[in-house]
Amino acid sequence: MPEPLIRFDDVYKAFDLPVLAGVTLDVYEGETVSILGPSGTGKSVLLKTSIGLIAPDRGDVTVEGRSVHAGRQALAEIRSRVGYVFQYAALFDSMTIRENVALGIRDEAARQLGRDEVQVRIEAALESVNLDPAAVLSKLPAELSGGMRKRVGLARAVVGRPHILLYDEPVTGLDPVNTAAVSHLIGKVRSAYGVTSVVVTHDVAQALEISDRVALLDRGQLRFVGTPAEFLASADPLVQAFADRDAARSFAQKEVEVA
Amino acid sequence: MLRRSIDTVARTGASAAHHAGGLFLLAVAIVRVTLSGQVRARHVFAQTYEIGVRSLPLVALTAVLSGVVTSQQGGYQFTGSVPLYILGSVVASSIVLELGPVMTAFVVIGRVGARITAELGTMKVSEQIDALDSLGRDPVAFLAAPRLIAGMVSVPALVAIANLVGLFAGLVAARATIGLGGEAFLYGARLFWHRWDLLYSLIKGVAFGVLIPLLSLHMGFLTQGGAEGVGRQTTQAVVFMIIAVLSVDAIFPPLFLN
Repeated sequence: MPEPLIRFDDVYKAFDLPVLAGVTLDVYEGETVSILGPSGTGKSVLLKTSIGLIAPDRGDVTVEGRSVHAGRQALAEIRSRVGYVFQYAALFDSMTIRENVALGIRDEAARQLGRDEVQVRIEAALESVNLDPAAVLSKLPAELSGGMRKRVGLARAVVGRPHILLYDEPVTGLDPVNTAAVSHLIGKVRSAYGVTSVVVTHDVAQALEISDRVALLDRGQLRFVGTPAEFLASADPLVQAFADRDAARSFAQKEVEVA
Repeated sequence: MLRRSIDTVARTGASAAHHAGGLFLLAVAIVRVTLSGQVRARHVFAQTYEIGVRSLPLVALTAVLSGVVTSQQGGYQFTGSVPLYILGSVVASSIVLELGPVMTAFVVIGRVGARITAELGTMKVSEQIDALDSLGRDPVAFLAAPRLIAGMVSVPALVAIANLVGLFAGLVAARATIGLGGEAFLYGARLFWHRWDLLYSLIKGVAFGVLIPLLSLHMGFLTQGGAEGVGRQTTQAVVFMIIAVLSVDAIFPPLFLN
């Protein structure tokens, strides 16, 4: 068995009430794992523990064998290898799209690359998420639609060529067309950059479409971890209840088509 | 009843200790990132323009009104009782020792402090501060230190300008209302003038220039709970800043004027 790239080891976190109650999950190199669950079950909190944005009360998170809590230097190194796509993109309002995406390249890397190469990377990142650099580079985030802002957030996450991509609710608030486009982009980015991905979502159809494995988080604990096919075949009543019938049908239809 | 009072006192004490600790840690972090060269000069210049240059018109207007009102009040009280040139001394002392720094601080609280808390609060609730962290940028170096350095530099400069403008406005108002000539006004102003007074005024400016951004940054970083949380935190920050400025103003005379 290979060593996991990301290991959540018995992670506990409480704010006023317990949010994570002992979550253990391994994510292996090259795979895409989606974490499903109803709103408020701690999916985003779990994701944020993996780059030290939230510190667990108990347990540990290791990325590429290094603990997220092993000090400032270790955390900086881990973060330099991880791209994070935030739920509402978290773009900086006062900066242009170019400046926002450029933030994804660390200062040292930008110095080594030089101004021209940084520009080339920014444009390539925007193109990889189906945005026209000439049309958006000098715009402010407020001048873009919600779907475009999400794609800029994704471009910012990939421009630094990360080894791991973390997506926090990437399709929340998007219409079905943009949802499909973002799901397609996640797959495209995975194949283009060869990244390992963890996707937090409550969109079952998206999770089944893009994932190698699916995990269901319920009341702070993992209720299920397995492949999309195992998820759909699970006898667990909660998994069955959670698996949207339409999504399941859509997934099954695609499987039939592939077969 | 007694138990409830004790609970309230305990809660208030715990909250004050929490804020004091947070302010101290933030100040230490700002010093650390500044000394380690992580703060970008262009961010400091941008904030200095925002805090200093863009506050100038309102600071000047407030100083004019402070000078005019002080001069008019003094003229009304002194006419027929004390030599009128004393008015120059009263206006100079009031403006330089008190009104210049404090009115400037109030303008900066309203224009800059509230904006910093609302801006950072919005960034906090929209995960922009988390995004900075995830992108390897220290929010203290990127957001907090430039604002604090800019405040520390800009506010004393604004105080110096407010002093000059306020004095000039007082002089003009004295001539217009009680017919006191410029020479007599300046004679009075010099009569009880200590060189230390100007330095005292500027030191107050530095203290306010540190205090206002530090408090507004601290409150911004603590924001939770969406748009409502931003509004609540901004209001609370303004209240804290006003109380802090007046408290510091009250401890300055025993510390520096005796």
